[in-house]
Amino acid sequence: MITVLDYGLGNVAAFVNIYKRLNLPVEVAATASQLVNAEKIILPGVGAFDWAMTRLNESGMRDCLDDLVMVKKTPVLGVCVGMQMMAKGSDEGKLPGLGWIDAVVKRFDETGFSQQTHLPHMGWNDVNPRDSNCLFKGLLSPRFYFLHSYYFSPVSKDDVLGVTDYNGSFASVARHANVFGTQFHPEKSHQWGIALLKNFAEL
Amino acid sequence: MIDKKICSRCVMDQSDSRISFDIHGVCDHCRTFDEQVVPNWHTDERGSRELATLVEKIKLSGKGHDFDCIIGMSGGIDSSYLTYLAKEKFGLRPLVFHVDAGWNSQEAVNNIEKLVDGLGLDLYTEVIDWEEMRDLQLAFFQSGVSHIDSPQDNAFFATMYKFAKQYKVKYILTGGNQSTECIRNPVEWMYYQSDAVQIKDIHNKFGKRPLVNYPLTSILWHKIYLPYIKGIKAIRPLDYGPYIKHDAMKLLMDKFGWQPYPQKHFESVFTRFYESYWLPTRFGYDVRRVQYSSLILTGQMTREEALEKLKQSPYDEATIAYDMEYVANKLGITVDELNSYLVLPKHTYRDYKSQSQIYEWGAKAMKALGLEVGGKR
Amino acid sequence: MLRPRIIPCLLVKNNGLVKTVGFDKPKYVGDPLNAVRIFNEKEVDELMVVDIDATAQNREPNYKLIANLAAECRMPLCYGGGVTTPEQVQRIISLGVEKVALSAAAVANPSLISKAAQWVGGQSVVVVMDVKKVGLLRRYEVFTHNGNKASGLDPVSWAKQVEELGAGEVVLNSIDQDGEMKGYDLTLVERVRQATTLPMTVLGGAGSLDDLEALVRRFGTIGASAGSLFVFKGKYKAVLINYPSRDEKDALFERALENK
Repeated sequence: MITVLDYGLGNVAAFVNIYKRLNLPVEVAATASQLVNAEKIILPGVGAFDWAMTRLNESGMRDCLDDLVMVKKTPVLGVCVGMQMMAKGSDEGKLPGLGWIDAVVKRFDETGFSQQTHLPHMGWNDVNPRDSNCLFKGLLSPRFYFLHSYYFSPVSKDDVLGVTDYNGSFASVARHANVFGTQFHPEKSHQWGIALLKNFAEL
Repeated sequence: MIDKKICSRCVMDQSDSRISFDIHGVCDHCRTFDEQVVPNWHTDERGSRELATLVEKIKLSGKGHDFDCIIGMSGGIDSSYLTYLAKEKFGLRPLVFHVDAGWNSQEAVNNIEKLVDGLGLDLYTEVIDWEEMRDLQLAFFQSGVSHIDSPQDNAFFATMYKFAKQYKVKYILTGGNQSTECIRNPVEWMYYQSDAVQIKDIHNKFGKRPLVNYPLTSILWHKIYLPYIKGIKAIRPLDYGPYIKHDAMKLLMDKFGWQPYPQKHFESVFTRFYESYWLPTRFGYDVRRVQYSSLILTGQMTREEALEKLKQSPYDEATIAYDMEYVANKLGITVDELNSYLVLPKHTYRDYKSQSQIYEWGAKAMKALGLEVGGKR
Repeated sequence: MLRPRIIPCLLVKNNGLVKTVGFDKPKYVGDPLNAVRIFNEKEVDELMVVDIDATAQNREPNYKLIANLAAECRMPLCYGGGVTTPEQVQRIISLGVEKVALSAAAVANPSLISKAAQWVGGQSVVVVMDVKKVGLLRRYEVFTHNGNKASGLDPVSWAKQVEELGAGEVVLNSIDQDGEMKGYDLTLVERVRQATTLPMTVLGGAGSLDDLEALVRRFGTIGASAGSLFVFKGKYKAVLINYPSRDEKDALFERALENK
């Protein structure tokens, strides 16, 4: 069973629709009691870092989530701002992140840009996975939709599961133990996103 | 539960309530095929000569006009192959039109595009007013009858004749063919879609908005007035030569990038839902029986293959929930409401006003005059 | 490598799809839900849906329609039309839409852009500018209300302002080229392109894939949007949804970006 966290941000319906059409069991959790028995979690996210952290902290699910992820080691997939929230903090905001992965979130350095368009990083870009197992099993030339101005920067290279080139390479997919994150939007990346989400469900 | 008796030659069974069997267990559909279709169906040199004569007549009638014939393109195999033949093999100048009733599948739209581009033809599309179409479709659901695809079918025929009249085209080419359709859906299952009286009555009783833009045809208009007064004739070119569905599909796929459908009539998302789910689930009518039986009689499928395929569910169980949701959303109702129509008391065309007498009389007259072969009953 | 984006743009009027010429003479194109479904199956890069009545009629967006359309999209969806408050922006995003487009309301009240950006993030706030050439000197001016109301703004300075206010994307729409299928107004694009580093999407005039290729060749990473091109076929403008295949798109980008 996939549990999609509904804390007021992110395209919850898109994730639910994808799993429904894959005929994989999916539910939505908006309260701690709905979350507490989750087996696999998706943490969606759209919007600014502080706004997202505030909404999560006020949702009543923060403690339950920390317990599930850090203690019970429940697999969790953070998407876009959901991934960024898993870091210790972000240049975009003042609030601390969840700290599930030793990483920070930085703004792209615009001085190095070779084209007129700078930020946000918007559109379809390639992802180079470190290996073709787990999330990227069966995906050929994976490409996904990105929409962000800040990127995830893990301290350890081992936590980088995939990279993308945008005026330099950045970690578009990260993993530390049971914690996964994608900077792109699998729920809005057609067949590649659907395949990745299916792989997450089948891990 | 009593098992329905199945024909010993094809796979039509007693879900066709008017079926009859001879002493060998062969059904009346097969007999009609042997006695009425076969003697008049020429796919050899007779057929090619007849066709060549027709093609010349068509070309002559079109001299000085933009088009010499009209073809309705659904993106399905029959109309696609027909369009290919008309342009490439017969050298005709068809006006190709498509009726968009709001339910086109991606494959249909792709196939029309590929054929039209690949053959260098011009396309006309008639877009049916969706709000009216939706209202009419809902009216049909609420009426409880089994022929709820009449709104789409009727719009197609009405538009076809409208274009023929507008562009002064004397010849309509249709993809109708004996090879895959020698057995027709029983009238009980799918009543004549061109009966405008029936459509109007059901709309009067259940519709919520006036039918202003929706095109209506009528049996008298398109079977009597247009052919006999205006001289517009409908031709079925696929009947004049061997038409093997599998080969036709391969040719189109290789030559044009044509995409196949899982089943006949799946160009329309609604028709797919209607034929694969609605009809069998609500009425026990499985149109695959009709389609496979035709293929059996014309040697393109064995009875064993057909029986084997019929064991599988007529609809895709993995996607039916999504299809129900999509159909409901599109019609502006909830899935519960759509499901409620599934269990309404059943009605037939006889429960509403119709011109069925005219059809019955007309069919007898046509047969007596030798003007039409085979048949829908 | 970040690819350029090819984006069908659908116009909704009275809940039905229409296509205009010069923002006028709307021709009925059919049901939006089925069109969106087909585009989704064709795996389009993104989709833009604009309700062209909402602002003129001073009414709220049709949330039910928006939710239904969003449910059919496995690609990002941008919605515009009748959006005047940050609450509406938030509500539309929560229905499963990635970006919300502001036009008239942003011109009337530019702080709407920054307020909306605070709530949903700048990346989800798009400013659409409908531009027409006016006067003897044929200078460019931004219009609102379906091209009926002159704003007094010139697109170049408006683009700069919009970036400063925190928007995430600029959609540049040429009213003069709309529906003509004779190509984009590349002069207009050049002017505005120099004025902002925001992602840009160009709309109005595309008549063939060659026009999209020409745009990408000149401007590199850019959004190429079109209405007529993806909704009509052939000289009789028969309504038929079409869109380049993935191979056709990749080949187009490769050719266009060869020397970049």
